[in-house]
Amino acid sequence: MSANLSGVRHTHGRDIVKPLSVAVLIAVMLPLVLLPLASIFIFGTSTGLASFWKSLTAPEAVFALKLSMVTSFWATGFNVVFGLFAAYVLAKYTFWGRNAVIVLISIPTAIPTAVAGFALLLLWGPYGLLGQYLSEDNQIMFTPYAIILANIFVTFPLAFGVIMPVLETMSRSLEEASATMGATRWQTFWHVTLPSLRGAIVGGALLTFARSVGEFGSTILVSGNLANRTQTAPLYIFAKFNEGQVEAANAIAIVLALFSFAIFSVLFFARDWLETD
Amino acid sequence: MKYLKAVFFSSVVLFAACLPSAPDDVKGGQTITLYGFSILKEALEKDIYPAFAAKWKREHGADVNFVSSFAGSETVTNQILQGAPADMAILSIERDADRLVQGGAASEEWRKLPNGGIVNKTPFVILVRAGNPKGIHDFADLGRPDVKVIHPDPVSSGGAQWSLLSIYGSELMKSAAETGTEDKVRALHTLQSIWKNVISSPGSAREARTQFELGQGDALITYELEGLLMKQANAPIDVVVPKATIFSEHPALMIDRNVKADKRPVVQAFLNYLWTEEAQRAFVKYHFRSVTNESLNTENPKFAKIEQPFTVEKFGGWAKAYPEIIEQVFRDQVQNK
Repeated sequence: MSANLSGVRHTHGRDIVKPLSVAVLIAVMLPLVLLPLASIFIFGTSTGLASFWKSLTAPEAVFALKLSMVTSFWATGFNVVFGLFAAYVLAKYTFWGRNAVIVLISIPTAIPTAVAGFALLLLWGPYGLLGQYLSEDNQIMFTPYAIILANIFVTFPLAFGVIMPVLETMSRSLEEASATMGATRWQTFWHVTLPSLRGAIVGGALLTFARSVGEFGSTILVSGNLANRTQTAPLYIFAKFNEGQVEAANAIAIVLALFSFAIFSVLFFARDWLETD
Repeated sequence: MKYLKAVFFSSVVLFAACLPSAPDDVKGGQTITLYGFSILKEALEKDIYPAFAAKWKREHGADVNFVSSFAGSETVTNQILQGAPADMAILSIERDADRLVQGGAASEEWRKLPNGGIVNKTPFVILVRAGNPKGIHDFADLGRPDVKVIHPDPVSSGGAQWSLLSIYGSELMKSAAETGTEDKVRALHTLQSIWKNVISSPGSAREARTQFELGQGDALITYELEGLLMKQANAPIDVVVPKATIFSEHPALMIDRNVKADKRPVVQAFLNYLWTEEAQRAFVKYHFRSVTNESLNTENPKFAKIEQPFTVEKFGGWAKAYPEIIEQVFRDQVQNK
């Protein structure tokens, strides 16, 4: 594990390329990613832990964090199930327009999130194409459901993108064996295909969830941004910054930074644990 | 292991699956949703909301709660036009109230509220770093090449539009005092030279203030109360009062389209409450100036004396000021040049 992962050696004796390249890696990351993140933590603790804790436990802040988690949870649930379904259909069957469907699913990746929010408003807003037919009490926009819709749109391709390549490269022999042994299509899927996709599903879910929790551009347009109602954690940060309460904004920023750190740690280190029975 | 994982996942699901309920939904009573322009927060949340809620409880025995969202005046207006669930709005500029009427969200009736619907006012001033190191004494100094200015974006901020009117009108008044005629060329030049020095145009007056507080720029043109609130918090800044400057006037109105019949009385009562002596005094406490009673304004010793004050009436009201100054002067001859 220590020397060279590929096992190939180009030099004899002392390899200076290794420490040098690692140093370059760190040197590039330091000003671009690590220092900006560090400054959040330095600023956050500069006024003392007590004021940090107070900012963190303000009811509006707690509500915002919870709302972010819940809306992201539902968006993730939907996108993982749909992503799995889409990947299964597209990996299994070839049909006319198959590539077009793959492109369509991937589109949200390249669309500015503000456009996503705007598009949802034009469709579901109280005066939108479809929204105008909803009764006053059943409006979707400016409720937590709007946030879920926006999260679904923005993270649509993520789980699919993780599951699809795994499914495509998966060995067919197991499924074929299962079929020859008389298993139904459903049994093969449930007992053979799904277990081997577990890692990809968990990975896709975590990615989708992390991206949803951080979503800002579309949420600010569709949610109404009301504290204790429809204000998610990123909106709370923005609102507090706008109000000049940089410390309050920073406390939640720290939570989100730690949170994404945790998620990607799980992705990286705990995958094996999640994949085993 | 399998058991552990099941517990882990189901606890995550249990935690995450239920939407949080708003604290005030539990309390019961009616809730007024107010969308306001960026600098209102302190006066409303710390003073006026609780005072009205207490009064309503005393008189009607019922609870009233408030939720609010603050952003640039134009932003707030656009949100409401798109259907944001506001019961009422307090905006920076009358033009936005008119836009709400034209968009069918509110009715012309708002002008029949006390004082023509204008709820408070404040003059526009220049904030500089403590000790005024760049020697800024009036708007024209902001156009010097060595000055960096923070100025909110007139597309989203009402305060930004007041600021533009203030600079332009101030130059007109000073030139009239000096030569007898209003020098539009001079006013345009001042606007152009200041805009050249703008290094950042945030979405609202409050956002601009946050950037200025974090150390960006040498000067910020904004509402007087922003400067006074910053001084109160011991921020290292000075307030420079221009010789001639505008008083911004802020309308409050009901969003009729969103207010159901059962909620109308409490919204109307709160709206009217804003012009009571109690509320006007609260505004003065947070450095807005009262529009109903000038003697209240003498109670705040921090208020600057403005030598040559003017209002949007100088340009013939917002109906003229917006197309003639913001669009034809600022947008066509300053921003797009």
